[in-house]
Amino acid sequence: MEFKPTIVAFLCNWCSYTGADLAGTSRLKYPPNIRVIRLMCSGRIEPTFILKAFREGADGVLICGCHPGDCHYHEGNYKCLRRYVLLRKYFKQLGIHEDRFRLEWISASEGKQFAELVNEMTRTLEKIGPCKIKAILETFDKGED
Amino acid sequence: MREEIRIGVYICWCGNNIAKMVDVEAVSKEMQKLPDVVISRTYKYMCSDPGQDLIITDIKEQRLNRVVVAACSPRIHESTFRKTLSSAGLNPYLFQMANIREQVSWVHSSREEATLKAVSLVQGAVERVKWHEPLEKRTVEVNPATLIIGGGISGISAALEIADAGKQVYLVEKQENMGGKVACIDLTYPHLYSGQQLIHSKIDQTRSHSNIDVFQNSEVKKISGYIGNFEAEVARNGQEDIELIFGNIIVATGLKTIDAAKVENYQYGKLTDVFTSFELEEMFLKGKVAKKDGGIPKNVVIIHCVGSRNTNYHEYCSRTCCMTALKYANQLRSALPDSNIYQVYSDMRAIGKACEELYTSTAGRDVMFLSFDQQDGMPQLRKADPEDDCEMLVEMDEKLSGETIEIPADMVVLMVGMEGHDEARELGRMTGLSLCGNEFYIEKHPKLDPVATTTDGVYVVGSCQSPKDIPDSISQAKAAVARILATINVGSVEVEVTTAVVNEEACCGCQTCVKVCPYTAISFDEEKKISVVNEILCKGCGTCGSTCPNGAIRSRHFTDKQILSQIEGLMSIHKPE
Repeated sequence: MEFKPTIVAFLCNWCSYTGADLAGTSRLKYPPNIRVIRLMCSGRIEPTFILKAFREGADGVLICGCHPGDCHYHEGNYKCLRRYVLLRKYFKQLGIHEDRFRLEWISASEGKQFAELVNEMTRTLEKIGPCKIKAILETFDKGED
Repeated sequence: MREEIRIGVYICWCGNNIAKMVDVEAVSKEMQKLPDVVISRTYKYMCSDPGQDLIITDIKEQRLNRVVVAACSPRIHESTFRKTLSSAGLNPYLFQMANIREQVSWVHSSREEATLKAVSLVQGAVERVKWHEPLEKRTVEVNPATLIIGGGISGISAALEIADAGKQVYLVEKQENMGGKVACIDLTYPHLYSGQQLIHSKIDQTRSHSNIDVFQNSEVKKISGYIGNFEAEVARNGQEDIELIFGNIIVATGLKTIDAAKVENYQYGKLTDVFTSFELEEMFLKGKVAKKDGGIPKNVVIIHCVGSRNTNYHEYCSRTCCMTALKYANQLRSALPDSNIYQVYSDMRAIGKACEELYTSTAGRDVMFLSFDQQDGMPQLRKADPEDDCEMLVEMDEKLSGETIEIPADMVVLMVGMEGHDEARELGRMTGLSLCGNEFYIEKHPKLDPVATTTDGVYVVGSCQSPKDIPDSISQAKAAVARILATINVGSVEVEVTTAVVNEEACCGCQTCVKVCPYTAISFDEEKKISVVNEILCKGCGTCGSTCPNGAIRSRHFTDKQILSQIEGLMSIHKPE
């Protein structure tokens, strides 16, 4: 069967969530494999959320925040960026392909860019294949080696 | 022990908008299988009165204590359904929305896959709402004064409207004089009223109004606070700091014209008698249309869309230039009865009351209309040879005839496009406004909320939101005033309840949260050695919550438990059996 990756996306209410809505209002098309969680700011995103998404079987995790300088709360996006950089290093150690975890800036007017991003990320993940973290952790849980 | 959870799930068809692409009945059936879901229904329009009544009845009869609505974006109807819960006696925060229109039915093309996605989104909402807790609305008093930034036609119209209602206005104008772009205009289209008369009577009223304090040659340096309770520092004449307190802000900073020299094929600044539209206005205001050498131009060529509607410059239409160009043709026909007048246009956009009529009547006044392709066929301008009997030649591929032609010109008028101010970004940062890809401000909702912004208590009116004509600018100004007077009338507004709260037991006193808070809303209690959140200042971004190393900060309505449960819900059906 053809592999269809699942992406969990954390979108900021003020920019990218609105941008994703705009993609809808403009009737742009993108693959239905993305599951959006709306937050007030990308600065709210904790490493646990990302880990949880992979743990639950996500093949990719996408964070979208406001462009630098445009954060609704002044600088939450920068805080997110700092955490993202650290977390990427950590994921590398875990063996999670770097293209599975992305941070992109999408403004409220960038519906087209949002749709293109989902298209592009889906294609990339299709090439990389399914993320095995969930299966590995389940094996651990069962106490098998 | 936790209370018994009783969830009602409501799937909206939105007519055909959702139901066409999502099998709403199937989604509803899936939800019925979930634990704690007491009832799951679909309805044609959940936001309609009968739709909302359905929820209210169920809350009462089925003793629901959680509600999920799967419909359009929460940005549109979350507040509607929160009110529905309130009117049924349930706390409005015991509610979660799943966006299955903008983010499902409108963007996908396989009904099967769209339905599957809808199921997972609604299940995510169901798992999340289980952990929702009642939150109490907080209200703050509204300072009845209003700050208006910008003294053009929009700002002045808003100021007078508020002042006439008996409320205080502080109007800050950057320039030496009020009046903005309208003050630079001789006659307005389509009726050829005098722009000067329009604006100067309003400026005089503004200056003499006892409820308006005008600060000219002044700039806002700093804004802090929140709806109802803002503070600003204003510098007048580059010094003297004035401090103002007010409850609402109207941003009416307008726009500027693009630099015509950037559109190189029109030779602005290189050929002597190439003028911008605003330079022609100056000539009309002075009462004489003439070339640089004082001579009468025999051929006047008016070129449209200079820097507009072309991806090399600005993609958007500057809105007012077509009709202004027609106005010029009329004024020139009267001023220069023996000259040839050419309208070199891309598409004639005669929208608005009496504008198409202006086009028709202008066409009957011996004006030549020639059309070009704005993307691939912009006219080229060059100096004429001595034997040409004119100063310049405009070469163009005329679209209607399909021929390449040369038009003689002694005066060329460039209908320069409009763009946002360079300072728009900086002021946006101060007032909490975002820009929409160019330097214009973005409104809260492009259709349903065109003057409010994502920052409560801050409104955008007139051309700082996009190029606009005078009536549209004034309409927006007065719309914003209506909103502001309404809050002043009530005297208080509801503010963010989704604030952060510190768990005193878990706080280790490291003060990391104090450092990351963008609103200085967190302080350190030296006696207890713990962090304390000032809920009035907290805007609920959640940065402190995600930074706290001990997990001692809860972001209300965006708690770890709520978000992690939503992730579980979203992912639980991800591979169908």
